[in-house]
Amino acid sequence: MTWLLASLITIALWGVVGLLQKLGSQHSTSNSLMLWTTAGYLLLLPFLFTDSHLLSLPARAIVVGVASGLTNGLGAWSLYTAFERGARASVAVPLTALNPLVTLVLALLVLGERLTATQTAGVVLALIAGVMLSYEPDAT
Amino acid sequence: MKPQLWHWLAPALMACLWWGLFGFLAKLGSADVNAYDMQVLFTVGTIPIAIYILVRRAGMQASNKGRFIGAVIGIFAGVGGIAYFAAMARGKASIVGPVTSLFPLVTVLLATTLLKERLNRVQMAGIVLALISAALLAT
Repeated sequence: MTWLLASLITIALWGVVGLLQKLGSQHSTSNSLMLWTTAGYLLLLPFLFTDSHLLSLPARAIVVGVASGLTNGLGAWSLYTAFERGARASVAVPLTALNPLVTLVLALLVLGERLTATQTAGVVLALIAGVMLSYEPDAT
Repeated sequence: MKPQLWHWLAPALMACLWWGLFGFLAKLGSADVNAYDMQVLFTVGTIPIAIYILVRRAGMQASNKGRFIGAVIGIFAGVGGIAYFAAMARGKASIVGPVTSLFPLVTVLLATTLLKERLNRVQMAGIVLALISAALLAT
């Protein structure tokens, strides 16, 4: 599989997930949807052990991997709450997709990384986009 | 700011913060973990949330349709994640990052056509800016 095909599969699946998260919130509470999302992850597990080197991984990689699942899950749970409270998928999904902004700020503060010119432009645009996406003069 | 706007915006921004932290951890994650093992560790990380929800037993109402959609979300998000790691392993991160960051476009197209969601002009322009900025940030 080429990188392009793999990328297109990612875009299609994650794009549909955004819709399903909104749709699911109309038939379930955020708590229950989170529970069943986890069930979906668990269903995948048997297929993942086919190429596993888990036992030989360094402890740091395991801690970081588990913590990434925890933070990702908390993010999904928060988004479900937003949907439960009436957020639209077409607004909330692009808004939450601005999260690399937070990653960059953390890399800046914790790892002492510098921003490239492209990333700086991205930060400015992300902030403007965030404000525009939240613009609802006739909010219901 | 209108309170009803803040009602959904607050958890949405919270999601943004958690996922930003997730991105930071993914950045720290060692390069020698393969896509499958990463997804296993990732799944283990979500289990404490499920346990917390099960123990509290509050707000767990769902129809069978809701439960089914939830499970499909987990499967699609998981397979999408594996495809993402595979793309990263085969291509340059500086290209795969920006390309895959365009996934909200698919959600917007589906939500406006299938769910008939309506956006004002400012929000439409905001979506375009968000997609451009997500691609720039992912470089």
